Amino acid sequence: MVLSSPAIALHSVRKSFRTVVAVDEASFDVQRGEILGLLGPNGAGKTTLLRLIMDIFRPDSGTIQVFGRHLLKEDKNRIGYLPEERGLYTRQKVQSVIEYLVQLKGVPRSQARTNAFQWLERLDMLKVKERRVQELSKGNQQKIQFIATVAAEPEILLLDEPFSGLDPVNARVLIEVIQGLAASGKTIVLSTHQMNLVESLCRRVFMIHHGRQVLYGDLEQIQREYSAKALFVRSNADYADCPFIEHTTANGRGTQILLKDNKQPRDLLSWLVEKGADVQSFECARTPLEDIFIKIVRQ
Amino acid sequence: MDKVWVIAKREFLVTVTRKSYIFAVVGMPLLFGGIFGISFLTSGTLEQSIRSGSEPMAVVDRSHTLDFELAGSIEPVREPSAAATEILQNAAGSRPSGIVPYTDMTRAIQDLKAGRLSAVYLIESDYMSTGQIVAYSPERGMFSDLTPPDRSRLYNLIRASLVKGRIDDETRERVLAPAKLKQMKISKHGDVESASDAFQKAARFFGPFSMFLLLTMSIFFSSGYLLQGIAEEKQNRVIEVIWASVDPMELLAGKIIGLGAAGLLQVAFYAGMLFLPAVAVFALFQVSVTGLVLSLVYYLLGYLLFAGLMAGTGILGNSPQESGQLSAFWTLLSMIPMFLLAPITEAPNSWMARGLSWFPLTAPVTMLLRITSGQIPWVDVGISIVVLVVSIYLAVRGAAIMFRAAALMYGKRPGFGEILRWLKEA
Repeated sequence: MVLSSPAIALHSVRKSFRTVVAVDEASFDVQRGEILGLLGPNGAGKTTLLRLIMDIFRPDSGTIQVFGRHLLKEDKNRIGYLPEERGLYTRQKVQSVIEYLVQLKGVPRSQARTNAFQWLERLDMLKVKERRVQELSKGNQQKIQFIATVAAEPEILLLDEPFSGLDPVNARVLIEVIQGLAASGKTIVLSTHQMNLVESLCRRVFMIHHGRQVLYGDLEQIQREYSAKALFVRSNADYADCPFIEHTTANGRGTQILLKDNKQPRDLLSWLVEKGADVQSFECARTPLEDIFIKIVRQ
Repeated sequence: MDKVWVIAKREFLVTVTRKSYIFAVVGMPLLFGGIFGISFLTSGTLEQSIRSGSEPMAVVDRSHTLDFELAGSIEPVREPSAAATEILQNAAGSRPSGIVPYTDMTRAIQDLKAGRLSAVYLIESDYMSTGQIVAYSPERGMFSDLTPPDRSRLYNLIRASLVKGRIDDETRERVLAPAKLKQMKISKHGDVESASDAFQKAARFFGPFSMFLLLTMSIFFSSGYLLQGIAEEKQNRVIEVIWASVDPMELLAGKIIGLGAAGLLQVAFYAGMLFLPAVAVFALFQVSVTGLVLSLVYYLLGYLLFAGLMAGTGILGNSPQESGQLSAFWTLLSMIPMFLLAPITEAPNSWMARGLSWFPLTAPVTMLLRITSGQIPWVDVGISIVVLVVSIYLAVRGAAIMFRAAALMYGKRPGFGEILRWLKEA
């Protein structure tokens, strides 16, 4: 194992199911200790990618390396996987389910018990440890699933929609926990539709659409590139008549404008002057990731 | 290997604490107890039946063939059981023969209707030339109606009356009772032995047969738990979480060991309850050590085969119910020897029995059955074990392929063609 190698590296990975190509020539890597945002609309191939990394599916072609080598059986102990769909023994007690799933990561029983206890305490779930999983709310079941994933202390975490079903308070708690895990050196792949969370948690993103890579790299860089087309304008103009605008988002303070690809800010400014609009402010804006996402998906 | 044991331990503990398992463990002996209880109660009904059969019967002899004075010395051709004799004697009381001559047919029928008679026989005047007798008896049931009661006593009386004064007493005795049969048999070692009494004979069959029944049930119980467990894990999506930690073969191995142990515990519990001391199993029920060892070998092989098949099938369904329906195919095929129980036990080395022993799906049950029925050629043991070992390997490997292909497939069930394609591609 090469220490400087990425924690995860995919090269030209392809996976199809009969006639459907789920992942087509996907290539990306995840550095040790980083949080990579895995983005894409529903059915884009995100879950398939995670399953390929976990060796649940095998690629038709391409290579997948984890810890600098093809995934070995024992490497699974070092990877925590939180699937999108909750998978818990619903008729069993919370603590025993966590202990069992942690033991399956090669953690001895006594250690699994200690870890389970500590994580239940950390996420304020100790009070439910003797209750059956099916008696818990959807949000609490999600927290139990998260605990079962992290309590084995894996080096890599693959989190598929970890905030699903969580209220804002619990989502905030989980964000802090994920940030803490990354700070402690864990490598995290975060698949989610919540773009604001990706913006606050991830330095780099990989976006997939119809199985193909459509965006990959540093988030700030990507946003800068897209921001050349994004403006924040305060004026009394009616933008519906403007032929240069892709779409607008109005709020109380002004209007967020995304220009069409072949247009520049000066084109809009000229149009406003031509229309005789009363312009109070005209500034370049950082394009929200959500807008970038929507733009790509619509294309 | 550690993970296999973690899975095995959990599967064992979860299964043995399941309500359905506890019900099966406790409920099955209760069911058997119930069956024996019903048999015991029906034996009371039988006693009633024998009692009613020992009510006197009336004979209206218009041919004047019978000498009713001989009736007291008549014994039935077949020796009744001790219990039946006692009941007959008690019931008969002061009417040792139980045959009462009537001259008036109308009165005889009236007494029959009133329950004072078990039957009325009318011997017509032309009996000697025609042999015709008309029997009247109350309606009791389909089978008892086929044979009028106390027929043999009447026949003996007719024989005794016909030969009276024509032959000597010794010959008369032999005419009435041609044989008091003592049965001998040639053992497998060529020794001439007295045949066992009825109880020992029954024990010789029922001991091994009970063992066969328990082991067969256990195979299907245990593999059934496996099917249900896998289908549930797929349904509640936990299989994806487990798969992120272990590979399909580890998961299968853990489940097979854990649930096999639960099945063995069930058998041990039954054995402990039903046959308590091991000594009794060997001495009373005549189970040979070789038979016992072979039975356990076939139990193990049968369980492993069906565990593999059930696991591979269980993963294809979308719910435990659907998986259960799919697995019925294996269960039905494997139960063929049960439908052929009589011919196999009567001729355990027939070509049919041997053929079924060489076919993997029927081999475990057939061999368990044949072991209970007699000595079987070692070549059959060898062939069936080889066939089963190869089949187990293929079944478990096939199950692992199904796991990889279908564990995360929801909604649409794969078709036969698709399954074949998976197996080819693997």
